[in-house]
Amino acid sequence: MHIAEGFLPPLHAAAWTAVSLPFVMVSARRVNRLMQDQPQFKLLLAASGAFAFVLSALKLPSVTGSCSHATGTGLGAILFGPSVMALLGTIVLLFQALLLAHGGLTTLGANVFSMAIVGPWVAYGLLRGTQGLNAPLAVSVFLAAMLGDMATYTVTAGQLALAFPDPASGVLGSFIKFMGVFAPTQLPLAVIEGLLTVVIVNLLRQYSSDELRDLQAFPRLFTVEVRP
Amino acid sequence: MQAIDHHAWTNRWRSRHPAEKLLPAVSLLALTLILPPLNIGPLALTGATLATVYGAQVPLRTVLKVLAAPTAFLLAGAPFLAVSLDFSHGFSLHFSADGVRLALETTVRALAAVSCLSFLALTTPLADWAPLLRRVGIPSGVIELILLVYRLIFVFAERALTGRQAQTARLGYSRPDRSVRSLGLLAGSLFQRSLEQARRLEIGLAARGYRGELRVLTLEQPLSWARLTAAMAFVVLIGVMGGLLAQVWT
Repeated sequence: MHIAEGFLPPLHAAAWTAVSLPFVMVSARRVNRLMQDQPQFKLLLAASGAFAFVLSALKLPSVTGSCSHATGTGLGAILFGPSVMALLGTIVLLFQALLLAHGGLTTLGANVFSMAIVGPWVAYGLLRGTQGLNAPLAVSVFLAAMLGDMATYTVTAGQLALAFPDPASGVLGSFIKFMGVFAPTQLPLAVIEGLLTVVIVNLLRQYSSDELRDLQAFPRLFTVEVRP
Repeated sequence: MQAIDHHAWTNRWRSRHPAEKLLPAVSLLALTLILPPLNIGPLALTGATLATVYGAQVPLRTVLKVLAAPTAFLLAGAPFLAVSLDFSHGFSLHFSADGVRLALETTVRALAAVSCLSFLALTTPLADWAPLLRRVGIPSGVIELILLVYRLIFVFAERALTGRQAQTARLGYSRPDRSVRSLGLLAGSLFQRSLEQARRLEIGLAARGYRGELRVLTLEQPLSWARLTAAMAFVVLIGVMGGLLAQVWT
């Protein structure tokens, strides 16, 4: 759920950029160090970033007939962990702004916060939490991807509510209003993205366990027996 | 995406120094955000579109196509800004003059900003951003990562399209449940092949003595101060006109 260029008032745009900046900087430093230690990591990350962009450009079938697209937030968090996703997500969002005119430069900070910081952390936390409770992997992955998406939408609704408080009922009323718009349109999408992520992770576990190991992915994903 | 990238590489201002396009576009973007939107918005929208169509010679059709998607989103969202939710007497929804004004201002501001963004996207290839990113202190490793992503996006997009065509021909998208499965398989196999591609790149580069630094030749484009000044003057003119309009109206 991208906030379009120029949609946020200048103060809000600047504030969200300031909030996101430290996360992205820490992530950039970490990724830079990883890339210096292992040059092949750079290519792996580049391939994954390009993949995330292409995935987001693929139209997702939606129940209401309108098309929307996957955020890939959950998948990214599952594969790389949230600390890498902050930078990778920022790069993907930058490309979406400059290659698709989707999102924007002034709203980059706000979009990064919802999609590259909060979404991945929620997804990762849920994956770890549910795995700690010994839930089946498919259930964990589904919940992580779906609720990661929902977290992203909720944050976006919150950002919009803060920027455009309702004249009568304030920020809370505005938040309810925006969630009211998002819930019916985005909830089915989140469910679809959850299912999609399960299909992808299953496929990767069957055929790409070596690559997954390279990615330092979440341990449970590849320590299971590989089916012949 | 292909259209935007195509025009970014082939427009008339392609060979201009990136700063000549970036600085005016970003300044105009800043102006549209800061000044009262109803005055500066239409001017900035016109200015940025004129610069794209007459300056950079990007066909108007392409510009409109690029603007169409964000515009549709904005128009769909505007009513929700205009509608106001009231809890004070139970639960009621109503339009208010303030809300309508807010919706109008936001939509106009966003439209103007999107036109600045599309000017940038249509005239400056992403590869040209690299020197600017270096200047603002982004580590060279991260910039290389960005350039690699840029290259790979087009490789993967082509694969995704081919895969999707093949699946569609086999009725893979004939029902919603099939669509989810097909898309999952497509994404999964795309990811596998992306990783394969990364591995092949890595082997190829290692064979050429790769030590974690990619050296490429870039086109040297001299910065023309005259052109930059003219472009900035144009932006300032738009700003001043917007400011004057605001005075006249109030």
